[in-house]
Amino acid sequence: MNNVRKINRGIDRPKARIIAVAGGKGGIGKSFVSSSLSIFLANIGHKVVSIDLDLGCSNLHTSLGIAPPPKGLQDFILKPETSLTDIMHPTSFAGLSLVGGNNSIDDVTQLSIPQKSRLMSSIYHCDADYVILDLSAGTHELTLDFFLMSTDKIIVTTPEPSSIENAYRFMKASFFKFIKRYEYQYQLSPVIAELMTQQKQLGIRSPNDLLKRLFKEEESTSLKQQIERFKFNIILNQCRSYKDIGLGHSIKSVSQKYFGLPTEFLGHLDYDNAVWQSLRSRKHLLVEHPHSQLYTQLMQMSRKLAHTEIRRVAS
Amino acid sequence: MSYISNEQTYYELLEISPDAPQDEIHRAYQRAKETYSPDSPALYTMFTREEALELSKLIEEAYQVLSNKSKRRDYDLQLVGHSKLTPEELSNDSQVLQDGQQTTIKPQKTQSAEVPSGHKKTRFGSYQVKNEMEDAIENTMEWDGSFLRKVRVYKNISLEQLSAETKISRTYLQAVEDNNFDKLPARVFVRGFVVQLAKALGLDENKVAKSYMNMVK
Repeated sequence: MNNVRKINRGIDRPKARIIAVAGGKGGIGKSFVSSSLSIFLANIGHKVVSIDLDLGCSNLHTSLGIAPPPKGLQDFILKPETSLTDIMHPTSFAGLSLVGGNNSIDDVTQLSIPQKSRLMSSIYHCDADYVILDLSAGTHELTLDFFLMSTDKIIVTTPEPSSIENAYRFMKASFFKFIKRYEYQYQLSPVIAELMTQQKQLGIRSPNDLLKRLFKEEESTSLKQQIERFKFNIILNQCRSYKDIGLGHSIKSVSQKYFGLPTEFLGHLDYDNAVWQSLRSRKHLLVEHPHSQLYTQLMQMSRKLAHTEIRRVAS
Repeated sequence: MSYISNEQTYYELLEISPDAPQDEIHRAYQRAKETYSPDSPALYTMFTREEALELSKLIEEAYQVLSNKSKRRDYDLQLVGHSKLTPEELSNDSQVLQDGQQTTIKPQKTQSAEVPSGHKKTRFGSYQVKNEMEDAIENTMEWDGSFLRKVRVYKNISLEQLSAETKISRTYLQAVEDNNFDKLPARVFVRGFVVQLAKALGLDENKVAKSYMNMVK
């Protein structure tokens, strides 16, 4: 059992930047976004590990245009002597390796707590510049845990109402799970319970109102700092009209007002038939159509992501 | 006239920085209006119809103030007054106008440079010194509205002059002098008014405000 160390939340820093790509609904392009970001970040010269965490229905390899890797996460989960490095599979892109999901018939969607913490710890100490987590649809506890361990939290949505609804659903679920952790650490439950009994009088209608009240009651600045580090990044996929782009800004604004947390709109991606055409030919869009509008949009997005780190280090 | 809500400023509401230029305010307003229109798809499951309408109303209000140069300047000064902003954060317009105010006051000061003997200067003109009144100002412990009025009349200052200098409406100044607290806004604002008023009258604003605020419940 190598690579197993205890995660000290908020004290220890992961080696790599961990980018989680989630979204709630299925079929909105999480794997497409994950694979594209991985390729671009690798292209700029970073060491990237892309991990398919959709343990039930893994398909990140297909998005990347490669055959299912011989070893996947099921090997890591079921055989404790396997390390994450053992199951990293090189791809045709320099600097990018893939950790495939489960492609055997073993059911590994229900992880035991030791299995889960071993996997999380390995991801946390993964030796790379970027680790991209391609998460599954839905608000399964495991998905939320992986989402919360990331340093960059990306929510993918499309302009469809059902997709937006599920994105919000996911954001709420992850946010409450996040707060719950601190509830225990800072003994907040009695304070929150007290505040919620006066919910009407205090005008608490959203998490934003609750947090503001909480910060007033709790003198602890470290709690405030911890919570303010939590930031959603929105990507609006499959845009078909100019109006859809405005929707991205709107979602950002609504999220900020509702959660009271910083939210960034990373950008939009055009709807393009070339995506499924390239999926069919099992080659990534970035290889097949390097002159498309999507290529530019994805490149800008990856740079934006990479630059936030440069800005942070520089300041 | 609008006042600062204790929760968020108009700038925070429109998600812009306090030194945003007019075109940015306009863009932010249009975006916010679209986002919080009751049937916007971005609100779905997050805000109810009533909340959306309430937000829309606030957004309109914010734009009414911020899109109007003089209203925005007044609002900025209020924010500074309540230390929600520092003067450095203000838009250029407000900064220029703040300087402008000071330069318009200066010539008045030079006009009143020569005063007859037994007279004292104020920001507005001069007045004849009366010893018993000076003693009263020096020694009084209770600064209420009527005493403030006495001082103002003694120093030959009109309500109009005070209002122009402090940017506080005549109605509020009168309410302060009448001790008419029902007519006045929340405590913090009243304190701001009294401080401005005392400064303009050439009094120790801290002493006056402390004593005055003891009456306001």
